[in-house]
Amino acid sequence: MNLFRRLFGGIKANELFFKGITTLILAAGSVIIMIPLAFMISTSLKDPAQLRSDANTLIPRKPQTVQINGESFNLYSVTVDGETRTMAMIKKAPGGMALFADSTTPDQTVELKLNEQTPLYRLDIHWENYPEALGSMPFFTYLGNTMLVTFIGMFGMLFSSSLVAYGFSRFRARWLNVLFLILLATVMLPSQVRLIPLYIFFQKLGWVNTLLPLIVPQFFANAYDVFLLRQFFMTIPLELDDAAKIDGANPLQILLYIILPQARPALVSVSIFHFLYAWNDFYEPLIFLHTKENWTLAVGLQTFDALYTINTHLIMAISVLMIIPPILLFFFAQKIFTQGVVFSGVKG
Amino acid sequence: MKNKLFKLMAFLVMASVLLVACGGGETAGGGDAPAGEKAKVVIFVGFGTGTDPDQVVAQEALAQRFNESHDDIEMEFLIVPVEEATERYLAMVAGNNAPQLVGLHGISTIAKFLDQWEDVTPYIEKDGYDMSDFYGPSTTLNKYPELNAGLPLGLYPSFIFYNKDAFDAAGLAYPTHDYADTSWNIEAMREMAMKMTLDANDLTPNDEGFDPATIKQWGYADTWTDGRGQFTMFGAPTKGRPTSDDYKTAQYNSPEWVFGAEWLHNGIHVDHFIPDAAGQGAIDAASGDPFGGGHVAIWYSHTWYMSEGLNELPFKYDIAPLFYNQNGERISRIHADLFTMPKTAKNKDAAWEVMKWLVAPEQIVDVCKIYGCLPARQSSQDAYLAYMQERFPGLDFDVIFTAIDYLDDPNHESWVPEWGKVNDALNNATSTIYTEAELDVPGLMNTTNDEVQKILDEYWATQ
Amino acid sequence: MFKPGKISLARREELAGYAFIIPWVIGFLVFTIGPMLSSLYFSFTDYNIVDPPTWVGLKNYARIFAGIPEYFQTGNPAVLGDPIFWKSLQVTIYFASLALPLNLLFSFILAIFLNQKVPGVNVWRTIFFLPSIIAGVAVTLLWLRILNPRMGVLNPFLQNVLGIDNPPGWLQDPNWAVPALVLMSLWGVGGSMIVYLAGLQGIPTDLYDAAKVDGANAWQRFWNVTFPMMTPVLFYNLVLGMIGTFQYFTEVYVATSGTGGPQRSTLFYNLYLYQNAFRYFDMGYASTMAWILFIIVLVLTALIFRSSDAWVYYEGQLRGKS
Repeated sequence: MNLFRRLFGGIKANELFFKGITTLILAAGSVIIMIPLAFMISTSLKDPAQLRSDANTLIPRKPQTVQINGESFNLYSVTVDGETRTMAMIKKAPGGMALFADSTTPDQTVELKLNEQTPLYRLDIHWENYPEALGSMPFFTYLGNTMLVTFIGMFGMLFSSSLVAYGFSRFRARWLNVLFLILLATVMLPSQVRLIPLYIFFQKLGWVNTLLPLIVPQFFANAYDVFLLRQFFMTIPLELDDAAKIDGANPLQILLYIILPQARPALVSVSIFHFLYAWNDFYEPLIFLHTKENWTLAVGLQTFDALYTINTHLIMAISVLMIIPPILLFFFAQKIFTQGVVFSGVKG
Repeated sequence: MKNKLFKLMAFLVMASVLLVACGGGETAGGGDAPAGEKAKVVIFVGFGTGTDPDQVVAQEALAQRFNESHDDIEMEFLIVPVEEATERYLAMVAGNNAPQLVGLHGISTIAKFLDQWEDVTPYIEKDGYDMSDFYGPSTTLNKYPELNAGLPLGLYPSFIFYNKDAFDAAGLAYPTHDYADTSWNIEAMREMAMKMTLDANDLTPNDEGFDPATIKQWGYADTWTDGRGQFTMFGAPTKGRPTSDDYKTAQYNSPEWVFGAEWLHNGIHVDHFIPDAAGQGAIDAASGDPFGGGHVAIWYSHTWYMSEGLNELPFKYDIAPLFYNQNGERISRIHADLFTMPKTAKNKDAAWEVMKWLVAPEQIVDVCKIYGCLPARQSSQDAYLAYMQERFPGLDFDVIFTAIDYLDDPNHESWVPEWGKVNDALNNATSTIYTEAELDVPGLMNTTNDEVQKILDEYWATQ
Repeated sequence: MFKPGKISLARREELAGYAFIIPWVIGFLVFTIGPMLSSLYFSFTDYNIVDPPTWVGLKNYARIFAGIPEYFQTGNPAVLGDPIFWKSLQVTIYFASLALPLNLLFSFILAIFLNQKVPGVNVWRTIFFLPSIIAGVAVTLLWLRILNPRMGVLNPFLQNVLGIDNPPGWLQDPNWAVPALVLMSLWGVGGSMIVYLAGLQGIPTDLYDAAKVDGANAWQRFWNVTFPMMTPVLFYNLVLGMIGTFQYFTEVYVATSGTGGPQRSTLFYNLYLYQNAFRYFDMGYASTMAWILFIIVLVLTALIFRSSDAWVYYEGQLRGKS
């Protein structure tokens, strides 16, 4: 026991055990979560021929082939007369058989059962899918548009949603409850039926084919972010507010100096949510944007999903690239996230 | 005090925004172009083919070619992915900003929006446009009694694609290329297909121990079409249309189509040579390409399949006529595509000029190359044939051109009242056929027919 | 009006409250209320989008509610005014009843795990958050492949590793299509997990310290400190989750190519609404459906709000507000 304590310093045994279990569970969960992602990356590195016939293998591979008389034949590792050799499959035959021959003596064929032989593969990673996908669209223009919409919108959203959430959470007023319910009600109506009137409205403003319909409404708060912030604001104790009021602070100062600093995790959350929404949203841009120069990345991605041809490998390649900025953002946002509230700020 | 000012300001801002909104909206797209400015022609692409990245680039080049040779008109292609095309188009039309042309799209889209297209007959007459070079179904399939929807651009006949390696492996002779050979019929095809359906152990449905759950290759599939399409080949009197000629009586459960439904159901769940819903989902999701992925030995499709599907296939293949049906008839579906003009668009004269340019002998072959269709002009056939022979060496192109003679008229995509609703009802029935192993097929056809009849009755009650 | 001394404190607080929500009010009046009222108007019309709407009064509503007594007498859906409407409602409720509780539960549990100070927790959090970052079209294509009963990845795993004999047909089987969609939605649980994480981060640690001093064990700490402090966030996820599952659309649309198949087993309410609007060109009927859904969701939300007094705890709640 003493040795144990000396080895592990101050760490308690059951704490270590608990952390171990937690890590194990998280690891198991991560594997499950990552499997589709692994397929995504693997698909992005295959070419359409591989996707057609060999979609479920994680490692991009192609059959090894040999050239005989100008034609390509697949190579197999075959067992013939107890011996294992590498032979080319010339032709399939009825009954699950196939004709194999050595590449040096293509006329001497031997008939063997096909699925008892092992096909030979070589690694075949198609890195060029990425440049191809990037090259088939004005990637950086789209990226620029996406960033414009995302970050300006995020600023507008934070600004307006903080104000509005503050109003809904920190003030007593007759109509505020009703108005809050109306705020929520605005997201209860399916957006499909608002689309046409909204389009006509933006068209009258002359905003169709600009990025404005995607950015400007963000400056007027939206239900999701206001709701979340309001919930968070309402968990912050009132005592600090009261103290500040006694000191003569006006409501705006209370918001800026008391509330917002304590609501950092919530602010980070809504920023992340907004970022993801704007980053991946293709529906609204497609309805309101006209020329390709104004498209966002998500819209560009959609064009690969055409009626008769789905360029899955290109879709996956662009999708992989598109998750990099949000991941980086999220990774670093966690710093702000976890600088959470350590104390409730109330003494006595 | 501060708060009251706040409120006042807010009210003013709001009011001014509303004023801008209501007052004299200058709609994007404007009126007819003032003198000296180019007329703008927007071609809306998204209802059919044309949204593939390669096609986008090719279309841009085409637009550039036009703009360089025309001083008074400027055209551009507006690409909208398929999923959003309908909403975008309708929003534009509702906002008085309809595109000048829509395309390239086919009979189904034209039927869906039938009363929105401008009838080009007056334009043809005014110009004295020579229609004699256009041949066959290209001139009839999109012409309705009150509407000629546009100048024909291209045809997509249909035929069999077959996997020669699969035939070799099964020891079968290839299907005949002779359109007159009646021994190539539905029974013969069925026998062949069953021999080419293989499970994981290379057993066929004829063998002991065949396991339908592990099928890796099916004998036959015709999945890239809808409910009406799949039944058309069985030869109902109304060919591809599930209603009577006056569109008032539902005829979905005609004896021929019931036969077809039972034949399909049998092929899927009893004989197993047709992929069921799970099988279809597998090959579609994996690769989007049943034939190219080597999953189907006999594949029935159209020429539009060729430009993307027949790329560097790892097996030998060829094309053959569709087989004769159970009544000794052959009905080989066809699609006919063109560009159309929305009625409410502005600059229709400019749109007409662009429409003519696209189908002009100088351009039509290039335009068809982008979309994979056969040019609708007699005079362009040779040039297109030469192009195809270069692109797909070794294929028997007589099969393609002769298939046109066996078209389905009424077409499987043609207009019926409440096109969307009727089609969805039929597709629901087809989905049931593909997913339910135990099924009273005639019963399903009858209930679906009642559904369609109800839709037709409701439609005619409001006319 | 401009005399400072005459405005009471309470009145001043009221005005301040209204002032702060002005940005939303403006946005609402400019961008939202117009389209909303338009759609309400459309629900009383026949509107095919291209031609101007024609007033038909309650015809659309009558169609939806027609035949209900006969249906209860005969049990035959064909007597209903629109049997497909009720089917779509049933599908949606089925999905919501599975997806909502599972999502809430899993994201909450996940957040608790990810709130522990284990080494590399930032990496774990990022991994679990990843699914909600990926573009929707890619996600659906991936899952279409994974879930395919014949050539997918999940069923071989179920068969060979877990020994399940007849694994379900998932998206190709009418009985398993909705559970398949629930499964897909659970993959993205990391998204709502963040909100819980933020909530957990916002719990002052001295509360835990005080509880430990009082001799509380881990479970008691959870139940008496963590859970109550998390109820505001739970409330948020419940309300928005409910609204979201009832309006579930995009994933279904891509996964079934807009058909709602097989056999209408995934014909969600919003999908059927979409079909009516943009495929049957019956925007009037679609608007009717939209407003009926609106009422349903509004009532449910109001109920949840009513109940919130009983179980949601706000540290900073104002008295005299309700």
